[in-house]
Amino acid sequence: MADAGRLPEGRLPPGPTCRVDFSRPLAFTFLGRPMTGFAGDTVASALYAAGVRVFSRSLKYHRPRGLYSMDGESSNTFMAIDGVPNECAETTALRAGMSVAAQNVRGDPRTDRFAFIDRFDRLMPAGFYYRLFHRPYRLWPLFQNGLRRMAGTGVLDPRRNYHRDGVRAERHLNAEVAVVGGGAAGMSAALAAAESGLRVCLFERRPWLGGHLAWRVRDFEGEPLHHRAGALAARVRATGNVRVFTSSPVTGVWGDNLVTGFTIGARDDPFRECHWECRAGTVVVASGCMDRPLVFNHNDRPGVMQAGTAWRLARMYAVRPGGAAVFSVGDDMSLEAAVDLADLGVEVRGVADAREAGRQDPGLVASLAERDIPVLSGWAASRAMGRRRVKACELRPLRGGGSRRFRCDLLVANGGMQPRIGVLATVKAKLAYCADTHSYQPEELPEGVFVAGSMTGLRDPRSIEASGRLAGHRAAVSCRGGAATTAVDAASAVRRDAGSAADGLPGPVSGCDIRHGPALGRGAKAFVDLDEDGTYKNVVESAAQGFDVPELAKRFGGFGLGPGQYRVTGQNLAMIMADLRGDPVETATPTTVRPPLVPPSLATLAGPGHDVHKRTPLHGELAGWGAVFRRAGEWERARYFSEDHSCRDEILNVRRNVGILDSSPLGKFRIHGPDALKALQRVYVSDMREARPGRCKYSAMCNDMGQLVDDGLVVGEGDHDYYFTTSSGRAGSTVEWFRYHTRHDGWDYNLVNLTDVLGSVNVAGPNARRVLERVTTDDVSNEAFPYLGCRHITVGDGVGARCLRLGFVGELSFELHVPSSYCRYVWALLVEAGADFGIQPFGLEAQYCLRAEKGHVIIGAESEARVTLTDIGMGWLWDREDTVSKKVGAPALRACENQPGRMKLVGFRVDERSGSLRDGAVVVGRAERGVGGMAGDGEIAGYVCTTRRSDVLGWQYGMALVHEGVAVHGGRLLIRQEELPGRPESCTATVVPPPFYDPEGTKLRS
Amino acid sequence: MTFRLTCPVCGKRDVYEFTFGGQERGPRPAQEGLSAEEHFRWVQFRLIPGGCETREEGASRADVREPLQEEWWYHGQGCGVWFTTTRDPMTNREVEGGGGG
Repeated sequence: MADAGRLPEGRLPPGPTCRVDFSRPLAFTFLGRPMTGFAGDTVASALYAAGVRVFSRSLKYHRPRGLYSMDGESSNTFMAIDGVPNECAETTALRAGMSVAAQNVRGDPRTDRFAFIDRFDRLMPAGFYYRLFHRPYRLWPLFQNGLRRMAGTGVLDPRRNYHRDGVRAERHLNAEVAVVGGGAAGMSAALAAAESGLRVCLFERRPWLGGHLAWRVRDFEGEPLHHRAGALAARVRATGNVRVFTSSPVTGVWGDNLVTGFTIGARDDPFRECHWECRAGTVVVASGCMDRPLVFNHNDRPGVMQAGTAWRLARMYAVRPGGAAVFSVGDDMSLEAAVDLADLGVEVRGVADAREAGRQDPGLVASLAERDIPVLSGWAASRAMGRRRVKACELRPLRGGGSRRFRCDLLVANGGMQPRIGVLATVKAKLAYCADTHSYQPEELPEGVFVAGSMTGLRDPRSIEASGRLAGHRAAVSCRGGAATTAVDAASAVRRDAGSAADGLPGPVSGCDIRHGPALGRGAKAFVDLDEDGTYKNVVESAAQGFDVPELAKRFGGFGLGPGQYRVTGQNLAMIMADLRGDPVETATPTTVRPPLVPPSLATLAGPGHDVHKRTPLHGELAGWGAVFRRAGEWERARYFSEDHSCRDEILNVRRNVGILDSSPLGKFRIHGPDALKALQRVYVSDMREARPGRCKYSAMCNDMGQLVDDGLVVGEGDHDYYFTTSSGRAGSTVEWFRYHTRHDGWDYNLVNLTDVLGSVNVAGPNARRVLERVTTDDVSNEAFPYLGCRHITVGDGVGARCLRLGFVGELSFELHVPSSYCRYVWALLVEAGADFGIQPFGLEAQYCLRAEKGHVIIGAESEARVTLTDIGMGWLWDREDTVSKKVGAPALRACENQPGRMKLVGFRVDERSGSLRDGAVVVGRAERGVGGMAGDGEIAGYVCTTRRSDVLGWQYGMALVHEGVAVHGGRLLIRQEELPGRPESCTATVVPPPFYDPEGTKLRS
Repeated sequence: MTFRLTCPVCGKRDVYEFTFGGQERGPRPAQEGLSAEEHFRWVQFRLIPGGCETREEGASRADVREPLQEEWWYHGQGCGVWFTTTRDPMTNREVEGGGGG
């Protein structure tokens, strides 16, 4: 606990903009050493205050790296926090008990065992990874492993469970206007848009509103700037139709103004991280500016940082950024930072400004002079000195000779400000280099996107706010569907014409176009990209190899591939490349911006883990019988009823007694209307006029390629009225399919999906009729209710059931379709009635085997994209005489009918007992007796779709899709299966026609 | 990729609610006298919006098609209607009044 009146180590007296609460200390450890931060700190600010300067080692050269930004712009401060690698220390709020460790180092980052690599940069030119290590090829794994060990960032421990606690949520926000950025411009835009009563969402990545005004204390129009930001924030929060999301980075803005991002939960939030999507009518982008890095030798030394970083450390976290500072900057805001830091007790020894004399704010120059701080206009830093951290620096004029050295432990360096263009890039705004502001500016904006604030080059707070208000008004007007009014358009001059706008506000400032520091030499230690260790020298090498545009250099040298992306590297790389090509700087194009602009955790994107599935009305009953449930499409279905996954007992009980199956997921539909038959004729391949009342018509649907897509039963219900079933997996797309294939016809029919309305229970086995007779008084004898009949019967206490007599499993079988709410009653009734006949439930696996013994095809198991209906032996369903219905698939069936070389579905009987043959084994051709045993002809001839050993048949049967050359009845197949690598097993099988069980079909007709 | 579509029944909705049904290429051709070639041309061939109708040499600018396409969409997570709309695949924007209904 900090004593009253005594400041903690490394801290400044907390000012009016301080976010840290010294009364609430938080203990944490860094590399096992105990440290103390305070509530409001980020991990990085607490470490910096505790004296940590070297945070990590760089990717390639293992150079020491320190705190550079406060917004996660580089991987310098990626650390392992509580064992989770690659956490950004700059943006992660400090919590008590955190354990923080450095990455890409052995031990302490101050003394890294791989640090010597930095001296061998000559051996690592741009693209060295691709160019040097690929010959001889067999040594590549050695190089790769060695490099991987030395390079890279965080390390995952395969034995550790990285499950993250806490709730992940997902929200879909509704707003007419979305505002990206909660600075002065964003807040003004939100307020202006809200005036018209529209719903506004405001997204700010930092935990507070205000942008750079939030930490500036300079007086402006009679009050400190942070008061101005505070007043705006208070108004925004008090406006009912503006919803404010802080700690909410935007990951991108997409087509039709879909804004995506995430919110990091505060302590009292019910979620830890929440992904959201906001489909807005219009979007105002006010994402602000950041320091453009200055490229000079050793510009990556710990102690070199952005102006914004040093300033925010001091003003927001009350951390002393350094004892003696030197500035090499190119923007008035950085000069203001120099004045402010000097006032806070940092000894500012000199300020170099890359701009020529006279282009600075005279007030700031005077303030610097008052504090005896020398200002060197037209100068910039040429190198930083010191091995592990900055100890001194050298400044030189950009033109002409001379140099000055200063001892310092803080070197604030930038080449002016650059706009954060990420959001504009994702929304596909056309960006072009603007020679006035020396930054990328939108040349053309997509519909409904507006830009405001300092990213347009404005610096005067009044101009920034005015541009925000203007953008907010325009966004509101555009949202309402109208064009912006002329009055509003006139005010748009604020953004473009310096000083000439109606209210006389200052326009955009002209920027700073410095490419790199003076006396750069080869630039072997001047970093353009911190994450990938890309130096100026590497850029030159890339260009010399012909990779002389940023997109190519990015691939070759890795510039901008790291977490910093375009933000640190983009503009500098583009400008330097243009110079190297000898082109004007206007031709410089930045590399593509890759989303997400700020990375959310994968757990957040995965969301709260909904498992969306359906349960049948009989789920509880099945569970009571000990069902093992498995997902089948969108359904959770009973797959087995015992631990014996061959389902021997379930199968034998159906064959010998009677089984009961919950077949509720079956697709069930009604189609009615004057043109219902026409629609059926279009999608089914058979003559559907045969679907008459009381009579099931079995048929199939094909697609335009003649492939089987569905099969089922159609039964007439009355005039222009039909009931039909589809396979379970197809139920969801049947309506779409019917309507698609009749979309040009304007037919009059209605199609109703009854799949969830009706449940179905199947009773199958020799005793099935006896069970049914006990629950109904209707006549279900073979004469009154023959095979493929359909009857409306009454079961139990008057439940009306549609009863279909089927034969899918190859036994006498009745399927009762009843309203879902009656399913449990009917199930109980049948189970009770069947007790004397040995009724037992059977599951999906047993049904799969039973139908395979019968040779019935399941779509996806025995049919696939290469085979048509005729190839799998179901061509008899196709009504080839019908040419007027324009049946879907008929032309393809005709074209493929006699085509040579097609695959065919065949049944087979495995010659000897071969327990290990499984689905998916490869048929390698016709088996012939050769030297040393059986041999195929070497060609892969197909594969086994389904194979099982049958206790009823006493042998192993199967179905295979094979080339027609081997699909000869009585022929023998050679089948191979790689049980273990290098130990293939093979067996032979004889082609026999299905069905294998009850080929005459007497059982199902009994 | 994300955008919104105008369903003739439900109005502007997120594209996630819809299923794409391909370019409008006319009604199913009559089967009588239809050659396999003609059938597969109807099933498989698509015109590239903004591309040339013909790949023959000397194709003039006049052969360049409109960069718009009329296409089918199914409002599966909505009212279940198939409808056509005219859209520019380069910008993903629907063309005003392009809804065919």
